[in-house]
Amino acid sequence: MESLHPRVRLLWVLSTGIQASVLGVIAYLVDRFAISLPQTVIVGGWVVLVLLGVAHAVAAHRIWRFDLQDDALFLLRGVVTRTDTSVPYVRVQHVDTTRGPVERAIGLASVVVYTAGTRGADITIPGLRPERATELREQLRDLANESEATDAV
Amino acid sequence: MNRLHPRSAVLRVARAALQGGFFGFFGGSLGTGMLGLPGFAVPLLGLLGALTFSGYALARYLRFRYELDGDTLTVESGVFARQSRQIPLGRVQNLDVEQNIINRLLGLAIVRFETAGGSATEATLDAVDETEVKRLRNYVRTHDRDEATGTETGAADAVSEAATSSRAAHADLPGVNGSTPARTGDAQTADDFGDPVSASDTAERDQPDGSLLFAFDQRELLTYALVSVRPAAPVLTLASLPLGMDVVWAVLRFNATLSGASLNGPVVRWLASSPETTRLAVFAALSAIQFLLLALVVSVALTVIEYYGFRLTQADGDLRYERGLLRRYSGNIPLEKVQTVTIRENVLMRRFGYATLAVETAGYSGGNQQSTQGVAVPLAPREEVYELARDIESFGNLDFDRPPKRARRRYLARFSLAAAGLTAVAYAVDSLVLETGYWWLAALLFLPVVPAAHLRWRHRGFDLDDSVLATRSGFWRRTTRIVPYYRLQTVFVTRSPFQRRRDLATVGADTASSSSLLGGIARVYDIDEDTAKELRDTLRERLTAHVAGLRTGDRAGDANA
Repeated sequence: MESLHPRVRLLWVLSTGIQASVLGVIAYLVDRFAISLPQTVIVGGWVVLVLLGVAHAVAAHRIWRFDLQDDALFLLRGVVTRTDTSVPYVRVQHVDTTRGPVERAIGLASVVVYTAGTRGADITIPGLRPERATELREQLRDLANESEATDAV
Repeated sequence: MNRLHPRSAVLRVARAALQGGFFGFFGGSLGTGMLGLPGFAVPLLGLLGALTFSGYALARYLRFRYELDGDTLTVESGVFARQSRQIPLGRVQNLDVEQNIINRLLGLAIVRFETAGGSATEATLDAVDETEVKRLRNYVRTHDRDEATGTETGAADAVSEAATSSRAAHADLPGVNGSTPARTGDAQTADDFGDPVSASDTAERDQPDGSLLFAFDQRELLTYALVSVRPAAPVLTLASLPLGMDVVWAVLRFNATLSGASLNGPVVRWLASSPETTRLAVFAALSAIQFLLLALVVSVALTVIEYYGFRLTQADGDLRYERGLLRRYSGNIPLEKVQTVTIRENVLMRRFGYATLAVETAGYSGGNQQSTQGVAVPLAPREEVYELARDIESFGNLDFDRPPKRARRRYLARFSLAAAGLTAVAYAVDSLVLETGYWWLAALLFLPVVPAAHLRWRHRGFDLDDSVLATRSGFWRRTTRIVPYYRLQTVFVTRSPFQRRRDLATVGADTASSSSLLGGIARVYDIDEDTAKELRDTLRERLTAHVAGLRTGDRAGDANA
């Protein structure tokens, strides 16, 4: 079982920070132009959200695991609701590596695995070093090719 | 390359002219009012609008061409941005035909081809005539069958055995068996595939009716409409009608007067001014009865319109349905493309031994926008439904394992919490706003908690058959999902904090079926954590085994199972 890169916590905290700040700006605008909100609520709300984000990031990193097993990609995640997902290689439609702006700034990348299913049709593994992401994508591609079925639907 | 039927061109041009005319007319009226254009500009702009719109419609008609050739459907369309799309016929999940009233009068029909990718219909032919519909249908069907002999063969189509044996040679050809590239243009020539099915061949196999599996007579249709009442139907219908809400308010007002209230303003104000309890009770009872009656009538009417003249036939390994009073729908569902089979029984149906059968493919939704799932048999005796389900996916007798008893305690806790919450809300509302003093009536909600928890527990379960996973849940509407192992996509196990406390887990088995809301995923609720892990590993193993079996062409094992 492989864990995510520790820096992914920073990534998650940053994205929570960005979301909280967007909410803060909205609250500020509401305060300015519509209903007046106490300043402490806005600031306090921002701080609480960011703290929650930090706690969540730490817990999520501790729980997140993934593994390339014999027949399937296996993922373990979820802070509140624990989920483990098995994606059989036969069912992999295609694999992407993606790097968002924040990810690029931190120097991480994600791998997205697509299946034809209805739920979890795209499964993201975040927080990988770019080399590892490329390597994983190629591994998955080879595994999917090896186990090629007649029709992935 | 074929064009759509000329009559559909006339229809489209006329419709466009009407739209354009209106558009120009309104634009002209606005222009004379605001910009001070001269009066004759109004009809002139109307004419201009009509000409432009109808010209564009005509151009679109002329640019739209389609062709069935060998293994692909090619569609070219677009006036300014031109599009050419090629759909490998082996990837067509289902083919749906719709006729609205105008189309029926003109003898036309809209044909839709659904494939697994994408969220919208892949190709729409709007519209072609009925002989062409028949030709398209047969072409796609015979093609499907040719391919089926080479790859995964559809379950339970004894009819096609003899007919296909002559074409089994196709299976050896490259391209038929492997992955056919989707929409890659003309990379593959027709030579890669077998010879295209000739016209005479198609005609020879034309069996328009096939064998009739199921049909509704008037009485059965009415029974179905009655037992499948959807209480939400009148709400949606009223909300979508113009003035619908005004009618509702008028009726409520009438009820209020009937219960003896003196109204000075809107009904809402009367309600908010804390009226006498008896009046309020009479008012509530009247409105509830009216609502239920309306629900019954509207729901029955909608069901009758939707399912009038329902027929299900099987021809060459395809299910074909036909239904509809005003708008006729029909479509083909290739049995080999079926992803999951769902059997639904609500309380009433269970009481009288009926059930509903629905099949899902990875295509869009079986032409069934209203019910979002391809209903194969709306209502039939349970045994018949199971028999047909076994024809589609062979499985043995289902013997469901219930969740462990501690799951029932979990439901008990959950329902009690819900009842407590609602009572608290009732208390808050009553003491702050209404002040009737009857808030404790909400505590009656605790009464059904125990039976509800028991019933929920009793109707949940799963069974690992030799070739399918079957899951079941729901008391008011019990849903039994049957998922063949070789259709599994991903398998996931989830545990909420409440489940973890009791060492329970839920296993989900996803398939590629397309119904969006409740669709696709067969869930096994609240089983023991260790059982869940075992189930997950079993599902994975069996998927691998069945897929490996498919690849070597050894399907005999699970066909007999």
